[in-house]
Amino acid sequence: MKRSVPGFALVVALAVAPPVAGQSLFSAAGLGLPIASLDARSRALGNPGIGLSGSAILPEDPAASAGLFAPTATFTAQPSWVSFQGLGDDGAGTFQGTRFPTVGVAYPVGGWGMATATFGSVLDQRYGVEQAGTVELQDGTAEVTDRFLSDGGLSVVRLGVSRVLGGGVAVGLSLGRYTGKVVRRFERTFLTAVGSSTVQQFQAGGFWSYSGTNVIAGASWDISRIVRVAGSVSWSSSLHAKPSDDTKGEAASYDLPLRIRLGGSGLLAPGMSLTAGISLEDWSGTTGDLHSGGTSGFIKDIGIGLELGQASLAGRSMPIRLGYRRRDLPFVMNGATPREHVYSGGFGLAFREVEGVTMAGVDLSLERGKRYDDVLSETFWRGTITLTVAGF
Amino acid sequence: MKRTIEAALLGSVILAGSACNEESPVAPDGDLFPVRAATVEVRLEWDEFASNLEVLGGFGSPSELGAAVLAKGFAGELDSRALARFGPFPAATSVRDTTGTIRSDSLLAFVSGRVVAVFDTVASTNEGPVTLALGALQAEWDATTATWTTAVDTIHDTRMWPEPGAGPVVALGTRTWDPAEGDSVVFDVDSATISLLADTTDESRGIRLDLLSDGVRLQISRVTLRIDTRASIRPDSLVVLSAPASELTFVYTPFPEPPPDGIRIEGATAWRTVLDVDPPRTLDGPAEVCRVLGCPLKLTPNTVGYAALVFRSRASDPAFQPTDSVGLDVRTVLSREALPKSPLGGSLLGAFGVTGLRVAPEAFGSDPGRAIEIPITPFIRSILQAEADSTELPPRTLALLSPFEPISIAFASFQGPGGPSAPVLRMILTSGPTVELP
Repeated sequence: MKRSVPGFALVVALAVAPPVAGQSLFSAAGLGLPIASLDARSRALGNPGIGLSGSAILPEDPAASAGLFAPTATFTAQPSWVSFQGLGDDGAGTFQGTRFPTVGVAYPVGGWGMATATFGSVLDQRYGVEQAGTVELQDGTAEVTDRFLSDGGLSVVRLGVSRVLGGGVAVGLSLGRYTGKVVRRFERTFLTAVGSSTVQQFQAGGFWSYSGTNVIAGASWDISRIVRVAGSVSWSSSLHAKPSDDTKGEAASYDLPLRIRLGGSGLLAPGMSLTAGISLEDWSGTTGDLHSGGTSGFIKDIGIGLELGQASLAGRSMPIRLGYRRRDLPFVMNGATPREHVYSGGFGLAFREVEGVTMAGVDLSLERGKRYDDVLSETFWRGTITLTVAGF
Repeated sequence: MKRTIEAALLGSVILAGSACNEESPVAPDGDLFPVRAATVEVRLEWDEFASNLEVLGGFGSPSELGAAVLAKGFAGELDSRALARFGPFPAATSVRDTTGTIRSDSLLAFVSGRVVAVFDTVASTNEGPVTLALGALQAEWDATTATWTTAVDTIHDTRMWPEPGAGPVVALGTRTWDPAEGDSVVFDVDSATISLLADTTDESRGIRLDLLSDGVRLQISRVTLRIDTRASIRPDSLVVLSAPASELTFVYTPFPEPPPDGIRIEGATAWRTVLDVDPPRTLDGPAEVCRVLGCPLKLTPNTVGYAALVFRSRASDPAFQPTDSVGLDVRTVLSREALPKSPLGGSLLGAFGVTGLRVAPEAFGSDPGRAIEIPITPFIRSILQAEADSTELPPRTLALLSPFEPISIAFASFQGPGGPSAPVLRMILTSGPTVELP
């Protein structure tokens, strides 16, 4: 005859930081928080990474590199400081983290065009949640801490080519391979000793690695050096998640949406240009692939910005940028579509210029934004730094 | 201006690096938990986890205790006498001669002496004066094997005492010990007795201490012979030398029989209790487990966060009830077939250090029925881990014993299987659904 003592109750909440870095609690929704592979200039202009004047290595706008004429490398880092509120009675707190959303290299291919290799973030799945509680035992109450950690994310490695066709038209194509991994682990730690002995920690979790294919085709058209319009289409195969041998969780497969980007920039006055861009994607097809939560369906990412290109510092070009961006997040966590509003600003600084072309420079942006749904809201400061060198 | 550019670059690096001290996006709310776990405490009855309980005695010898017990009619039954043999007497001593020079003198004359017995007042049960008798042993005896009836019990050599109880003896005197006046008793002995005690070729040499007062039990922590010695260099002076007991043991009657229905550890010689422990691999009950964790519940090392044997103490035989806290230890029996001489594994109570789990003496006397919990989580998890890995199961026999053997004539007793207070296996189980991707 077995006897048991029932009872489990979680009554107290308290946050302590586990060793996971990330940028948002919205990473807990669905497949995570989308991380655009954007450089600091795009961030400062509120742009989704399409239709900006000039040439750059932008992973999701393969035609943007067509105008480069020298070997070029770019590296972007992105620290952020986030405060959140809206979870439970004491559900407020802060955290910070740093991402490296994109790194890329472009190299001339004969005189035919440019070849590019980029590595960029796609989805951030890093977050943790922690809760204190109690377990009722026969001889009293034991304090426990439950913790769930998700560490990992989805990235993509792309190889691409771009070429100027003439007449101000440039085209680009990239082929990418999704990569990445995620560890998801639940832990219950007993803080109260039983008798004179400790209770061992309970752990459950798994490890999955991602794979999939991505293709992006894009084109831009410079109209009389005053206006540029551009667009790109991104297609992805299903995203496959394969568990490790010792993972009890199952394999999974997710449909990823077709993504269309349109954007442009126009010269309003000498040295002053206006940029605008939009990204459209429909995540409805992914809804059925999720075990929990849902998707926002059709979502938009819209940005507009102003660039003052004639500013200078010590005789060196230092364009000043302002922008605004609004985007829907694809995964629903608390019933309503999460959204993000960002006001941004920044500048670039050319360390070395050759005939008006920047051979070494840095771009910085600073964003003040807010993410929110019906329950959770986050406000954040986000810096982005892009270092670019060319002619090596 | 170049400095300005350098400063801007430096600022960029600083900005990038300023957030490298990562913190987490950590939510303090359960709504973001994709999975939940539940914890339940379960207690398995004896038949569900244990079998083959056996009490084994004879480990160690009273001579290894480092102390001796005196008793007369204690608890109406226990008689115990202390036996001691003194080591080689000092062969020389340093004496200051008439010129003030310190010289070594080996021509010593033993004039008289005193046998001093020091008591452990905590382990002794008397509260008032008691009378003790000192006698000189007459039969050859062996300290490591002597019992109430046997003087020598070695291989191919068994000799009984002429009289049970280490007799006969030549009486050397009686004294009264009052614990209010000190912790020791002193018997005067003459030079002839000292000469007999000094003869290391005589296997019968030794003293016997008897308790003449009824109803108490005393514990002697040490016995020393103090010898008044006249040195040849200074015949007008006496030098006091010490010869501590090189062998100290005790013989007692009656010798306790192993309990037919209980569990026993400690004592001198020491008792151990062995039992086979094999936890179930799955649980189909009780209802609370099924309701919270689901049934059948497969037990895994991860599921079992805590496991402990829970014993109920019971009063030991009155003559052998502890007067000081009792230390408990539990070890794996590496070969049950080799018992009682099977080697044992390391202590499963590492957290308790070398002293073991301490239990107040009242649990085995005036306040029986206390639940004594002995954690064996690593032992249970090792069995379940071997099961999960499909490897050979580790030894599943446990020995309950004292961390030191022997440590006391008293022993601890627990309720055995078959009754309402039989031992149980307490487990704290935690389980949850499989962690999946979103």
